[in-house]
Amino acid sequence: MYMSIAELVSASMTQHQPVYELMIEQEMATSNCTRAEVWHTMGRNLDVMEAAVKKGAAGDGVYSTTGLTGGEAVLLKKYRQTGHTLSGDVMMQAVQNAISTNEVNAAMGVVCATPTAGSTGTLPGVVFALKDRLDLTRDQMIQFLFTAGAYGMVIANNASIAGATGGCQAEVGSASAMGAAAAVEVAGGTAEQSSEALAMAISNLLGLVCDPVAGLVELPCVKRNAIGVGNALIAADMALAGCTNKIPADEVIMAMDKVGKGLPRALRETGLGGLAATPTAIRMEEKIFGKAQAKA
Amino acid sequence: MTVNYKSVFDIIGPIMIGPSSSHTAGACAIGRAANSIFKDKPTEIVIHYYESFAQTHKGHGTDYAIISGVLGFDPDDSRVPYAIGLARDQGITITFIEEPGDSPINHPNTAIVDLKNETKKVTVAGCSIGGGTIEIREIKMDGFDIKPKGPLPILLVQGGENDHQNVTKQLADLTKVNDQQRYQTARGNLYEYDLDRRLKHDEITKLAENHTTMVYL
Repeated sequence: MYMSIAELVSASMTQHQPVYELMIEQEMATSNCTRAEVWHTMGRNLDVMEAAVKKGAAGDGVYSTTGLTGGEAVLLKKYRQTGHTLSGDVMMQAVQNAISTNEVNAAMGVVCATPTAGSTGTLPGVVFALKDRLDLTRDQMIQFLFTAGAYGMVIANNASIAGATGGCQAEVGSASAMGAAAAVEVAGGTAEQSSEALAMAISNLLGLVCDPVAGLVELPCVKRNAIGVGNALIAADMALAGCTNKIPADEVIMAMDKVGKGLPRALRETGLGGLAATPTAIRMEEKIFGKAQAKA
Repeated sequence: MTVNYKSVFDIIGPIMIGPSSSHTAGACAIGRAANSIFKDKPTEIVIHYYESFAQTHKGHGTDYAIISGVLGFDPDDSRVPYAIGLARDQGITITFIEEPGDSPINHPNTAIVDLKNETKKVTVAGCSIGGGTIEIREIKMDGFDIKPKGPLPILLVQGGENDHQNVTKQLADLTKVNDQQRYQTARGNLYEYDLDRRLKHDEITKLAENHTTMVYL
């Protein structure tokens, strides 16, 4: 099993194999499954992602039962149709995909948690935008997910992917880093460039707190996935341009773990601090649950 | 380093009903573990929440998720959001307790599940470590107080030295056993095996043929 980014990059370089291939081989070995079986399972995950990307942006959109989130993927879709977005259509398509997926999640719809449900829009956001940008085939999108998973496993086993232990940096930060690394590979970059993209993506979101309003995976979670995709595409582009993070990816992951452990409990998915402790958030919590818990 | 995430599908997946992988899918997994250990229909379910679970279970849908697991549902089962009503319709009493103290198993996402009926009672302490992946750190069943390291999969077999040797032999063909414990009571032994990989359905069925009380988590 690959336990560090350096090992993964070195195996990819010396064996002249893309990271998705290494991941597929490792999965076959550890699960005692055939290539066809692991490929099929990943394909099903991709299908669930695609359904959520489409569902949130179709018709009037989806809305959570609390009314805190919903309908904004549709707003983004309509805005994109004007052709006047500031950051360009690839970026805003990725943002729309991410928001759509997380709106479906907040509305208790079906999602594929990647790596978590709170950060579930980031990876689909990136891959379905790149599908159009790079004319990706279904096979390439499945490969993208294996690559993202390989990098994500190293992050999860060395640090954390839970907001309650590591803050949002561990969720959207990890998802963004996985998306950045996989985007580099699918765009034709090297494993070293993927590693740099991952390192830059995490570095840029280091310290991001987990402060869900009323303890719900809605505010600010849905929109944090927009920064997840934006950051992933920016980090991937920087790495493809040849920019480097200077601090190696494995050390960045260790730093994220330490920062997460240093975050006060109020900022680790308790709904007690950050945005969750603002007067407006407290009013929302009272309206939904009858009373709000004491804030930090 | 503890390897909790052994499969790419722990990271890309699970497919689940929202909104939170740790507080919904992971809670469902803790409930499912309790269901696998209890192996029967409970009449009473008591859930003790700690830390982040105590503070955000309402918002995250943890209540219905954990009950759905106790009922044996998968995290993507469309009945998950309705699990509490379905359980109460079956006459099961359900209590949720927000514990004020720190988690006794030292994790912010902790739930302790008590299940009982006329004939037996089990207690399962689990924590949800992110992305739907869980650890089980304490199990009280049949007079045993089992304290696994945490990472799944875990196999529990009750019996004698013969059973232990049989299981060890069968496991040797399947996967590495990372850790192993024996628990003793006046009534007999229980063997715990921490496995290196998740077993496939047919592999579990085969193992269970000779060990009917076996628990696979």
